[in-house]
Amino acid sequence: MFAIARTELTQIFRNRLVLVTSFIMPVAVSAFFIYRHDAFASFASLGYIAAIVMFTVGAFGLYTTTVTTLASRRQNLFLKRLRSTAESDAGILSGLILPATVIAAVQVAGILTVFGVVAGAPSNVPLLVVAVIAVIAMMIGLALATAGVTNSPEHAQVTTLPVSLGVIAVASWVGITGTEELTMLKRLLPGGAATELVTNAWNGGVALSDSLILLAPTFAWVVVAVSFAHRMFRWEPRR
Amino acid sequence: MSTTPVIEVERLNLKYGDFHAVKDLTFEVRPGELYALLGTNGAGKTSTLEAVEGHRTPSSGTVRVFGHSPGDRRAVRPRMGIMLQESGFSPDLTVRESVGLIGRLTRRTDDVGRVIDIVGLTGKAGTLVSQLSGGEKRRLDFATAVYGTPELIFLDEPTTGLDIQSRDHLWQAVDRLRENGSTVVLTTHYLEEAQQRADRIGLMHQGVFHREGTVTELTRTLPSVIKFTLDGPVPALPLAATVGADGAVLVETFGLQKDLNLLLAWAQDNAVDLRDLSAGPTRLDDVFRAIES
Repeated sequence: MFAIARTELTQIFRNRLVLVTSFIMPVAVSAFFIYRHDAFASFASLGYIAAIVMFTVGAFGLYTTTVTTLASRRQNLFLKRLRSTAESDAGILSGLILPATVIAAVQVAGILTVFGVVAGAPSNVPLLVVAVIAVIAMMIGLALATAGVTNSPEHAQVTTLPVSLGVIAVASWVGITGTEELTMLKRLLPGGAATELVTNAWNGGVALSDSLILLAPTFAWVVVAVSFAHRMFRWEPRR
Repeated sequence: MSTTPVIEVERLNLKYGDFHAVKDLTFEVRPGELYALLGTNGAGKTSTLEAVEGHRTPSSGTVRVFGHSPGDRRAVRPRMGIMLQESGFSPDLTVRESVGLIGRLTRRTDDVGRVIDIVGLTGKAGTLVSQLSGGEKRRLDFATAVYGTPELIFLDEPTTGLDIQSRDHLWQAVDRLRENGSTVVLTTHYLEEAQQRADRIGLMHQGVFHREGTVTELTRTLPSVIKFTLDGPVPALPLAATVGADGAVLVETFGLQKDLNLLLAWAQDNAVDLRDLSAGPTRLDDVFRAIES
């Protein structure tokens, strides 16, 4: 697994397009949110900025990169090549997605740390960490599922749009308008409960028991994403 | 050397939807032999090979490699090297990185530089795969297959796209592996390679085995052909003959030397000029064509 991860990391740094679009752009967008945090906090909250930063990195840094990587590796039969070795399927997949996952986690941690220093620390750090982990797990599951219907890296530019734009739209809707109205719908949408969880963790003022309830739909989406991945992921190109 | 078969395939069936690609295939590959799986396009040989390699799950039947299911990667893969039909390398990795990665994942040990040298890519060790020619990618593929000198090597169309010199180098490397006791399973469209090198051959057509055996066993099922042309009308010949569409006289025989002598003596005695005379043993191509027709 680690041998595969090491070569994946090498390839990420050799491919400038992936490096810029998937890792530098999310950081730049996040930097803009932090720089203008007063403006965004005036119509939403600081917690909303934390959530939108997390989903921006999750959607573009992790989800899109993972789908593109897997589609590319399958298209040029690299996945089949890896499966001709003694490495297990789980080890192969873990190795392929580990670098993007670690980079995304480090990005989110770094950006939120800077945000905390600039705008004030979050109220409940452990809850925030749980929310970040759940979102990363959900985005990986959705990436594996989306890779199943993505034939090529070029195709990934289209197939990743619904989820990446969708989760950011949900995060913005929930983060800006809150969940007083349409509570059930907002919490059941992918990323809705996670956004509320992050907002609560950052802003505080909400009973822990009320926040813990949000873990149920958040982890339910992880299960749904992994289930989709299990059904839809393919190792070889369609013939 | 053990006589237990390295590969045992029993009543293998592979289906893709309604298409029955491989039907009730049974064969075995013995230790140390070079077994060639040959067939027409779409005969099912790559599907069969993939089932034996563990890349495809049989619809029914059993496949055992070293006594294990080929899907048991930890047990089987460290002992086998696989040269795929298509490249399957990441374009952003170098030759050295590609061999090192795949080699390490096979759980065998070897020196990456040595393996790269075997396939003549030492000068390209630091070159990205995306910058290799088609032939160089085939050689890279071969390098990963022979990394660590595996006991069993699958070669799927190994010489396609290679120049003559590279082919010779590849076969020399295969010969050295066989001297070390490796078993080789080969598919190829170059029948002369199989004819020269295979210990046994399985001939597939439309998903089934039509014939299996040594080259001698396969070719002796068909007659040899003596071919010549004559000026003017065909006289009474000493052997049964037919006239082909091009006007050539064809004599089919299972006793080539005896009948050729007879024919030459007759021509001498009757002052007949046998123009464009040719005669040769039955080749694998002829067996192949007979199956196709």
